[in-house]
Amino acid sequence: MFANFRQSMAWLHTWYGLVLGFVLMVVFFFGSLSVFDREIDRWAIPETRFEPQPMPSFDKMLLPILQKVEPHEVDYNAQMPILHDHNQGPMTPRLELPAEEYWAYTTHRDPVLIMGAGFGVPKPKDPEGHNHIHGDVTIDPRSGKLVSDEALKIGSGWFYPMHYGLHLGWKNLGYWLVGLASLTMLIALVTGIVMHRKIFREFFTFRPEKKIQRSSLDLHNMTGVLALPFHFFFAFTGLVIFAGWLYFPVAETLLKPLHHQHEVLEADKTGLPHERSGVPATLASVDAMVAEAKRRWAERDMAGEVGYLAISHLGDQNGYVSIYRAGSDRVALVGEGIHFNASTGELIREDPPRSTVGNINEFLTGLHLQHFEHWLLRWLYVLGGLLGSVCIATGFIFFVEKRKQRYAQKNSQFIRVVDAVAVTVVTGMLIAAVGMLVANRLLPVEFENRDSWEKNAFWGLWILAFVHAMIRSGPVSKALMNPAWREQSIAIAVLAVLAVGLNWMTTGDHLIKTIFTQTYWPVAGVDLSLLVTSGIALWVARILKLREQASLPIVTLKSKTIESGEVAHV
Amino acid sequence: MSIVSDQTSSVSRSKLPVAIVFHRVALSLFGSYAFTWGFTAFGVAALSALGVDFHEAETAMLILAFLVILAVFLWAFAARSLSLVWLVLAGGAALFCAAAWGIQKIILA
Repeated sequence: MFANFRQSMAWLHTWYGLVLGFVLMVVFFFGSLSVFDREIDRWAIPETRFEPQPMPSFDKMLLPILQKVEPHEVDYNAQMPILHDHNQGPMTPRLELPAEEYWAYTTHRDPVLIMGAGFGVPKPKDPEGHNHIHGDVTIDPRSGKLVSDEALKIGSGWFYPMHYGLHLGWKNLGYWLVGLASLTMLIALVTGIVMHRKIFREFFTFRPEKKIQRSSLDLHNMTGVLALPFHFFFAFTGLVIFAGWLYFPVAETLLKPLHHQHEVLEADKTGLPHERSGVPATLASVDAMVAEAKRRWAERDMAGEVGYLAISHLGDQNGYVSIYRAGSDRVALVGEGIHFNASTGELIREDPPRSTVGNINEFLTGLHLQHFEHWLLRWLYVLGGLLGSVCIATGFIFFVEKRKQRYAQKNSQFIRVVDAVAVTVVTGMLIAAVGMLVANRLLPVEFENRDSWEKNAFWGLWILAFVHAMIRSGPVSKALMNPAWREQSIAIAVLAVLAVGLNWMTTGDHLIKTIFTQTYWPVAGVDLSLLVTSGIALWVARILKLREQASLPIVTLKSKTIESGEVAHV
Repeated sequence: MSIVSDQTSSVSRSKLPVAIVFHRVALSLFGSYAFTWGFTAFGVAALSALGVDFHEAETAMLILAFLVILAVFLWAFAARSLSLVWLVLAGGAALFCAAAWGIQKIILA
């Protein structure tokens, strides 16, 4: 198809980079925000602005709440018709499903606690499958009071899932797109290196005074090369995280018989029952088990808090309680699991130290998921993610700048659309994200379906940004700049300041208070980031204004060929 | 870099026929996925047969899988002959899956 290897690599870089770049941009940007997802949650749900809490008493506080948890209606409606065997009669009504497992999870950054129950399907189609309908709640662990379902966790419940699933639930389409985009990132990095022989020089090359085409390429190369290990690592580990579940589920398909045999043998070896026995049993004091687990961790010189607690085969003689240590002091996630018999409280098993392979995997995925307590490293993650975003965005700009003269001559509208989509996923995405925060502060607390309206604001603003970019795209077909870039930058600047102001007005938490008098960094950090965003957006708008004034409609190739000698990029 | 570089006229640019591009894009994408799928399944089954713990084998193969798919994908795109790409990717996927299935049968027997 191509004359040589370099050419095929260049084609891949250009076209995969462009098409999947739009997805990658979303993944990188929302990934950067997800580093501080819990902090954004605090900003969005003012009643949860207090210090992180350790796991509260299970027996006194969590158990009575868990017993009242109901299977989620959406999950029931989606999963029950699939899991239930219709030959055995009608589906068990939602509220009559038996709870079969409980869990609770918290991190060192969580003031609130999330927990839930898995409900069994009494007449399942596949008795060996994972037959559970889920229900979960968020509580204030100081009082046990429920946090309303309609209080949307914009950080962990919206930006974070956006990062890995795009909120496209249908057939896991979003996950597949993100997976393909991640593979594209790996491809773009390798092909990018193939294309650039002078890779070390490009480390230090940035000529902002040059034409947009040249300076955007410099910036593209610099951010790509400078953070290359970061980009490669995150795209790669992101894929590994979802590999077994979605991308290569060999253990659940072709090798399911082998996997099942292993599970059964494993259950024998560990003493953790694989199935329910059918004999009912009561639940012993979980608090006593937690105390024992903490004592055992301390003995191993790893004192710590409980990160994750789960009860399997609830109410059955085979029931057991698993207690995992929080992962705030190391790269790996929750770990050092200790398991107890649920009805007697006897120790069943302490998980052995992980094997080498297990350690490597935990290290890889742990570095990506960053549950550790290291604020400098967290900010470096944000920086790396934003460098990736700059790399992708400048890729779009270079693509357009390089071609718009030619397409202007051909009278083709293609480049105009590409540019408008680029505006949408760069500035439009910021408008959607910041606008969502504004909507969060504008909507009254008692407003019905408040969470849906926040999501509507997010999508609505994003669509609006696209429409605006399309309407204003006329100049691109004359080889000029789309003024939407500048106008949307101004919109970002205004929205960001508005969000900070509204936060102050509706909660009384202004920056002097959150930084100095009653220091609360989660909210101060979000406010400060918004103000910095606003400042950068204004600065960008100013520069774009100058560029717009300076550029004239040149529809000849002459001025371009002067520079094309050094632009040996695709 | 005649087809894609800037120095050439727009004539050579449009030389890539849509059908061939589509064929190559679809083959490299789905082919490398199928190949890697088979490779992963085969690796897990083979390692299990050698006495490696199932989940360890799975974890190791899934980490390896994304390096494999990256290499295979790039090769599928750069290789000259489309039929060779077809043969290696489809044939490899089928062979790996069959081998994985066979090994599993032997282990479980």
